[in-house]
Amino acid sequence: MDLHQKVLSRIWDVDGSHTLDVARANGHYQSLEKALKMQPAEITEEVTNSGLRGRGGAGFPAGRKWSFIPGPEKRGGKPVYLVCNADESEPGTYKDRFCMWNDPHMLIEGMIIAAYAIDCHVAYIYLRGEFRPVQARVDAAIEEAKAAGLLGKNILGSGFDLEIHTHLGAGAYICGEETALLSSLEGERGQPKLKPPFPAVEGAWRCPTIVNNVETLSAVPYIIEKGAAGYREFGTEQSPGTKLFSCSGHINNPGVYEVPLGITMKDMIEKVCGGLPEGRTLKAVIPGGSSVPVMTAEEAMNANMDYESIQEVGGSYLGSGGFIVMDDTTDMVAALTNLLRFYAHESCGQCTPCREGVGWMYRVLQRLCDGVCTESDLETLLDLANNIHSRTICFFGASAAMPVQSFLAKFRDEFMARIDEAATSLAAPLPVPEGVLDQGAP
Amino acid sequence: MPTVKINGVEVEVPEGTNMIEAAAMVGEEIPHYCYHADLTVAGNCRMCLIDVEEGGRGPDIACNMQARDGLAIRTDTEQVKQMRKSVMEMLLKNHPLDCPICDQSGECRLQDYYMDHGQHDSRLADPKVTKRKRMDIGDHIVLDAERCVACTRCVRFGDEVTGTGELRLFQRTDHTEIGMFPGERLNHEYQGNLADICPVGALTNKDFRFEKRVWYLKEANSVCDGCATGCNISVCYQGSEVFRYMPRRNPDVNASWICDSGRMRYKRHAASTRLLAPRVDGSRSSWPDALAAAVERLAGKKIGVVLGTQATLEENHLARRLAEERLAGAMIFVLEGNDPGAEESSDELLIDADKTMNRCGAELVASMSSATAGGEALKSALAASEIEALVVLRDDALGRLGVEAPPLVVFLGDQANSTSKAANVVLPMASHVEQPGTTINRGGRVQLLTRGPLPVGDALPGVEAIDRMAQLSGGSLGSTEEWAVFESLAQSCSALSGMTYGALGGQGLPLSLASSEQPDPAPAPPAK
Repeated sequence: MDLHQKVLSRIWDVDGSHTLDVARANGHYQSLEKALKMQPAEITEEVTNSGLRGRGGAGFPAGRKWSFIPGPEKRGGKPVYLVCNADESEPGTYKDRFCMWNDPHMLIEGMIIAAYAIDCHVAYIYLRGEFRPVQARVDAAIEEAKAAGLLGKNILGSGFDLEIHTHLGAGAYICGEETALLSSLEGERGQPKLKPPFPAVEGAWRCPTIVNNVETLSAVPYIIEKGAAGYREFGTEQSPGTKLFSCSGHINNPGVYEVPLGITMKDMIEKVCGGLPEGRTLKAVIPGGSSVPVMTAEEAMNANMDYESIQEVGGSYLGSGGFIVMDDTTDMVAALTNLLRFYAHESCGQCTPCREGVGWMYRVLQRLCDGVCTESDLETLLDLANNIHSRTICFFGASAAMPVQSFLAKFRDEFMARIDEAATSLAAPLPVPEGVLDQGAP
Repeated sequence: MPTVKINGVEVEVPEGTNMIEAAAMVGEEIPHYCYHADLTVAGNCRMCLIDVEEGGRGPDIACNMQARDGLAIRTDTEQVKQMRKSVMEMLLKNHPLDCPICDQSGECRLQDYYMDHGQHDSRLADPKVTKRKRMDIGDHIVLDAERCVACTRCVRFGDEVTGTGELRLFQRTDHTEIGMFPGERLNHEYQGNLADICPVGALTNKDFRFEKRVWYLKEANSVCDGCATGCNISVCYQGSEVFRYMPRRNPDVNASWICDSGRMRYKRHAASTRLLAPRVDGSRSSWPDALAAAVERLAGKKIGVVLGTQATLEENHLARRLAEERLAGAMIFVLEGNDPGAEESSDELLIDADKTMNRCGAELVASMSSATAGGEALKSALAASEIEALVVLRDDALGRLGVEAPPLVVFLGDQANSTSKAANVVLPMASHVEQPGTTINRGGRVQLLTRGPLPVGDALPGVEAIDRMAQLSGGSLGSTEEWAVFESLAQSCSALSGMTYGALGGQGLPLSLASSEQPDPAPAPPAK
């Protein structure tokens, strides 16, 4: 299989790819013309048939999500909203930034088609707070598209109207969770909402809302252009298409790469990412962003880069495609502590297990790092993770618990080594509160 | 109506019932902090996690789970016990555990649920997160952020009930705390409810702080006498001392709330304005002497009896009968307006501009008599000396009318006012929380007051005081048990037909609409 297939990143290398002229010269907005001549339901069906799965992390089939929008007779006159999730805040993930920076028009075209399919006339792009320059570029692209009659009233003479607004978040990880994103967009504190009701029924301002990731929406024009079958030429039966991976860690060529789903993880590391630095061996891989369970080197060597294989072989998830490689120099206790430091800082504080439990896990890990620990701390840690997982309002709890569960299961000996060290050290210091969490505001 | 199964027990529940309420219907308490029947569902405490047996996926929270056919949940599995224990552990992890100095002790959900569901040993080896304490956030409320469990009931109260939205969540993670924007203070008339709905000791009532451990308090169901809304309250007292009023839930009247001025009316119970002993011509007297003086002086006079808009139905009923059956030729009056000095306030939520508890009841009783009139008629009758003596029940009749006292005034009531000061004979009565009785609120709801603390001083229950006057004037009017007085009234008044104390219960009943005399729930004003 060819390791590089350029669907989303097709024109990233072209000079001025973010401008409308270059984008159109490379075929952009032809899918839109085609789509506007189709029936909205046909578009949803085509996307459903393509097998396009949500690229934000959950991997939910995009076409099916769109089909949850209630029909006009059940909406009671409420508008439908499309919200593009460009909050990209998962540690290890930075592909959406590349999409929007290099080819904003592909996203805009995808959004217009999606909006047409779900009968939406006002759409939002919610960008994370740090993406101010990206927002400027997307705004410029929206203005260009408007001036060219591709956005606004009566798009391309079809009678379809759409306005797209960008909105900058305030820098909270949780606002990448779709209901927290909607809370934030509404001007409320950025915290997840209870489900049900799901956003497709009651989302932004309690109106039916579809939230899709940047990469998901950017793939839509290609699907309309080539048809579902054309998209399915890449990837596997269950995981069709291409995927952008944000590769980082101990590899020679970190960066964003577009590959067809289903290539081997071995190829991914050795060929796409340029392999590990000289003389190092693979220790672990986090395949889908910081929240997913860690995989051992052995699991990584046997897995393919698709949703199913990563789950079966590594007990992990493809997630958002934040591909983090760790070699034999990695201290797994320190690595996990670093991850938990992030989660302990980012828990929105809404529901009990996550609010109280994640900070607790972090403090226990800090003590492990400092060598002030006993074996019972490992039991506490695992118990806390189990008590958080699946018992919270949103997926954040599980996101913080899964790394703990998997690191402890797969690299327990490293944790035990810390405890043995602590037991033999006579001068173990007393626990001292320190670090950002105990200095007042997080 | 969907049928659901809770721990194997089937129950049919109204559409839209959540599983906390449904479980309560079969006697199964699902512990919860954030859920409140009169607020929206937040689902953040996770204490109500239950197992779903059929018809869904579990574990899930009961508060956000609407009853639907085929749904079967279990609250008795090992997993549920473990989940509750874990949530308790998390909630207590950064809690200061300062129960010995915390006013919530005894009515704290953390304490109650720890005993039922927690019972764990501490695993905490790390320092606790500390937060702000003893914050003065409003005229009635003190906030201790450390004790808070972030259930957001108070936030939702401000957003959904008062619409003022002062309280918010600040910070994130385990530093999350309730607070307000700089310079803000609570800005509404319902602050006390915040302390009531706070399931822990984070929000406490300034007035009640450090006054009494709650386990010493007894409670009596009653109704607030602050205005015509008739909010349901619990009177919390020990011996003859009242410590606080708490709202009592009645979805048809006040939901779970009362206003602050109503809440503070408990202070009237022991106020210096209470009438403690019978008085004749300004001097302290005894009941027999004062009653004899009243009856002797009333004899042969042209009498007006002023029914009490603050008196119970029973008192008004006996006062009417006293006027008609024992004081020949007496006219009956019900006065409009409020006593001088009453607060002038009203809002859309609970506070009514009419500051009388039982105007509807007084008017209903008056309407049963042919010789009744209002304030203007009384005023002109007094001016023309057509009335020489007044018997006044609780209301400040002279103050309301703005007139000089006639030659004889007999006042029966619990609070001193300008009428009692001008009265020749003062007969002290029990307050509305010290005796049973019924009132009718602005919406025509008949509500029951039960007996709380004993009457202070020499005060007697109202019906007994009136009947003693009747006894000296020609004979008793019958039983002075309030329930019996009410039943005899209900027999002669079709708007109350069929009502008994038992039937009224804790939530009251609307006036009978079938009544031909009272087509409107609110009684028509008495004929002039």
